[in-house]
Order: sequence, then structure tokens, then C-alpha cells
Amino acid sequence: MRDKKILVCDDDRGILEMLELLLDDDGYVVVTEPNSINALTTIERETPDLILLDIWMPVISGDQILRTLKADQAKSLIPVLMYSASTDGRSIAESSGADGFISKPFDLENLLTEIEELLKR
Amino acid sequence: MNTFENTDRDKKAVGLLSGNELLHKVLDASITGIVITDNQLTDNPIIYCNPAFEKISGFARKEIIGHNCRFLQGKDRLQEERNIIARAIKNGESCTVEIRNYTKEGKLFWNELYISPVKDEQGNVTNFIGIQNDVTTRKQSQLDLEFYQQETEKKVEERTRMYRESQEYLRSIVETIRESLVVMDKSYTVLSANNHFLNTFKVSINETKGKLLYDLGNGQWDIPELRKMMEEILPTNNPVLDYEVEHEFPHIGKKLMLLNAHRIELEGQYKDWILLAIEDITERRAIQQRKDDFLSIASHELKTPLTTIVGYMQLMDKMMPEHASDKFRTVVKKTGKYVQRLNHLLAELLDVSRIQTGNIELHREQFDFDRMIEETIEGIRAASPNRKIELSGKIDTTYHGDESHLVQVVSNLLSNAIKYSPDGSDIKVQVSNISGFIKFSVTDQGMGISEDEQSKVFDRFYRVGEVQRHYPGMGIGLYICQQIIQNHGGTIWVESQKNIGSTFSFTLPLNP
Repeated sequence: MRDKKILVCDDDRGILEMLELLLDDDGYVVVTEPNSINALTTIERETPDLILLDIWMPVISGDQILRTLKADQAKSLIPVLMYSASTDGRSIAESSGADGFISKPFDLENLLTEIEELLKR
Repeated sequence: MNTFENTDRDKKAVGLLSGNELLHKVLDASITGIVITDNQLTDNPIIYCNPAFEKISGFARKEIIGHNCRFLQGKDRLQEERNIIARAIKNGESCTVEIRNYTKEGKLFWNELYISPVKDEQGNVTNFIGIQNDVTTRKQSQLDLEFYQQETEKKVEERTRMYRESQEYLRSIVETIRESLVVMDKSYTVLSANNHFLNTFKVSINETKGKLLYDLGNGQWDIPELRKMMEEILPTNNPVLDYEVEHEFPHIGKKLMLLNAHRIELEGQYKDWILLAIEDITERRAIQQRKDDFLSIASHELKTPLTTIVGYMQLMDKMMPEHASDKFRTVVKKTGKYVQRLNHLLAELLDVSRIQTGNIELHREQFDFDRMIEETIEGIRAASPNRKIELSGKIDTTYHGDESHLVQVVSNLLSNAIKYSPDGSDIKVQVSNISGFIKFSVTDQGMGISEDEQSKVFDRFYRVGEVQRHYPGMGIGLYICQQIIQNHGGTIWVESQKNIGSTFSFTLPLNP
């Protein structure tokens, strides 16, 4: 369980580093991707067990990435946890097929619990 | 040469042609004053006067004969008529003048005087005959008439001047205001338009005056909302204020206008004229929009690094070494507390910017209102265990609305009640279902809100003066509450008494 690989995709490097530290401390293998445009190839290469995906990113938004991902039979099973600071984040996450959603700023305990739950499935 | 010697009305009149006794009697009997002067004697003395002249002048014959006529003028010597008389006498001509004369008592009388020379065979003036009529009454009425005419003319002039002045005054007001103004008759024909109108809408007075409002500029003013306002609203709701109309004009582009229309109801020449003031708020609205956008962007931009900070704060807690000193733990805890406060303020700001940009979405769902109230109160109790919150009443029905937004309202009102009332005092919450409305009230025993501040507490960024010192904040909580309640078609209000407490209430229609 603790060797699971998590990919975090967020254009904000501050959040990326913070999440990396948190997840690493919790025993996960962490891969970060600050460019949303590279997200799909990184997923292809790294085959993560779970993806943490920000919604609002420049060029390609989180929900666009998610839709492409869910359309791909092989990768559609990877659980995706989306997050956003905007109020309509939850409905965007739901409609684009995310497996979970948490709002920013996160409660880290909450985030870790969510991740654990999704990985148990 | 003297035709009249100083004889009384006897029959010895030397100068008179004998047989002219009758004529003499006629002169004496005349009601017209008659004098005769001898112009061959020094200073042209009077040598004859009839009784009528005595009566007119008030002088007795003995006071008249031998005197020059000028005694009649009293001290009033500067009349133009005197010169006319003097000239006539000098030239031996006749003349008629109306001259101011004075009786023996000094009373003014207007004398219509006709003088006529008497000449000898060589043509030398020997005498002058003066015929006098007291025309004071006639003259006075004439003078009065002239005076009144003059007065009337003066008044007319004055009135005209005042009218012009007030016209000019009104015109300068109309031209000075930085607002477009159009005056129309009741059939919407433009009677006048001020320069601001002409400049703003790039038209000339010639293509405006006398035209139908809707025909102006190839029908560019034929705006459905404007028609509705003029034809449907104004006739029954006079005046119409702050009526907002947005319209794309062919040459000047999209304009957002605030219209004020006033129909003149006063009976008279202006009845049913319509004054239409047009305020161009395009720019103002754009500035407001930029401000809101700024607020939205700024709070969003601030939120991103803050999210990271909040995360690190939690990491610090999580990674706290077991042997860390209490001092260090306190520092971390305090930092966390203030980061949370900042986070909360930012969340409020974001809410405001969302409300302003109209981005506050309602996710209406059927939910148990009573349960929502109970749970929210439970949450508040957990955070303030030393405060007693008493709940009474029930709705007993589900409500179709945005639960998370209403939770925000209820917890905001509850935490305000706790924040602004002394420790240990009770908070009462009442809910009821009143004829199709849900009513919710929170009553505290706090400091209360003065009457003039009650109307402002729901304003954006408004803070009750004395509150600001003790409880820092941005003054947007109640503003957000109001927006949320209004979005649900409800109303929110406060009733309060200074130093007794406040009750904040809202109602929501069950069938909006």
C-alpha cells in the first residue's frame, strides 16, 4: 500500500512541492507534473496508482485531461482525485468523471484519508 | 394807447370802444380766466383781469393789476413752457401751453394758457390777451394715466426681464448638468434637448427638435424598454427613476443608461410635457466591473500561495518532533491560527467577488431544513462549548434550496450572535412555518445596533463603528447572507435595541 505511486499535476509549484513532501512523508512514491500539457504522456510513462489533479490550469484544464483519460479503456481505471479552490469545482469534477473531489485549501488529514480510500478500491 | 384804464367794472372804460360795454360785460361774465397786459409798459403789467381769473388764481383784482403774469408761477420757474411764452411775446405771436401755476395759497393748478398779441396799425404789439383755463382735473387724470401707463410698461418690462432671466437661469442649469436632458410633449415630440444630449449622442439640434423621440437618428431611440417605460410605466408611476436601459447605438456603440422620466402634472401650458434625463453609466459600470474583477483576481491569486502555506502548517503539525518544546508548539499553533483567519477572510472576499460577478450558483435540492438547523447549531456549540444556544420551533417540511449556502447564512448569524454578546449570555434560535414562509430568527443579549446603523449592517464592507475596534473584520458576512437569502427569494432584516440585544431574522418562500 505504501509503495503506491501517486502523480500530482498542478501548475502551482508551491502546492506541488508541498504535496510531494506530504505524500512522501506518508510513504508514497510521488511524481509531480507542473505542465498540464505533459500530463497525459507522464501518466503513460509512469502508470501511477492514483492521480491528484488540479482543475484550473493553463492551456489544458484538469477536466479536459480527465475526459481524455476516462475515454482510454486502459487508463480509465486509475482513480483520479480532483481539487480546486473554486465553488463550481465539485460539479465540474463530478461531470467530468472524477473519482473524488476536495476543495482548496485542503485539510491534509482529509486528503490523506481520501487517497487511502480510493487506493483501497 | 391803453385800451383798459384801471377802472372798475364801471362804464367809464376809457380805452374800450364806446358801445363795447356789452363786450366788457361778456368778458366779466366769462368762466374762462382772462387777463390783458400792456406790452408797451415796463415788465408787461396786467391791466385787466376778469372775476374768473381771480377765482382761478385766488388773488384779488387789486393784487393782480399792475403785476407781471409770472407771479402765477410761484417758485416753479424752470418750466420749458415759460420759454415758449417768452418767445411768443418777444416775437409777437400767439401760443398755447399747459403750465403749472400756483394760487395765492400756493396750490398747484394746471393752466391751459392761450396768449395772443394785439397789434396797432403799424403792427406793433400793444397788448397781450391771456385766456386761462384751470385744467388741473383733466391734466391730473392725464398725468395719472401717463403715470400708470409708464408704470405698467415698467412692470411689463420688469416681468419680461425676469422671465428672460429665469429662462436664462433655467437654460444655464439645463446646460450645466452633466446629464442629457430631453423635453417632449405628450406625444413624444422633442421640444428641446440640451447640449450634453447632443454631444453624447452625436446629433445636432436640427435633427432632434420637432422629431418624434422614437424617430431620432433613424429610429435608433426606438428601444423596446424605452417604449415600455414611456408608454406603460410613466403614465401610472410618475416619475420613473433609475430605469436602466442598455442599447447598442449605430455610431457610438453600446451604452448603459439610467433614465429618469418626469411627466408634468401641473395644470397649464406645460401639462403632460415629459422631461427625460439620461445618465450615461457605461463608463461607471465598466469601472465597477474592473473593480470587481480586480477583487476577484486578487483574492484568487492570494488564495493560491495561502493554500500552500495552510498545507505546510498542517505538515509542521504532523511532523512535530516528540521532543519539541512547548514554546515551539505554541508558536506553530499560533501561526496556524492566524493563517486560518487569513484563509477565512480570503474565502469571504472570494464569496463577495463571486456574488458581484453573478457567479454565485444556486444548487437547489430538496433538504430537511430542521435537520440543517440542528446540525449547524451542533457545529457552533462544538466550537463555543460555554455558550447556551436554545432552539425552539420546527418547520416540519423539506425545503428546496441550496443547503450549503443556507448553512453559511445560519452559521454566520449564529457566530455573530456569539461574537457580539457577552460570555455566558443565552442565544435563542426560533424557526417557524408561517403561511408559506420559513422564518428563522437568532436573538442575542449583546450590545445591540443603533437605529441608523441597522439599515447599513447589510451593506458591503460596512462595519459598525465601535465594533471595528474590538472585532476586526471586513464587514462582508452579513452582505453575503443577504445576497444568499435574496437569491432564494427571501428577505433578511434586523431588529435591535442598544444594550439589550439584536434579533436577526430571515424568511424564505416555500413556493418561490
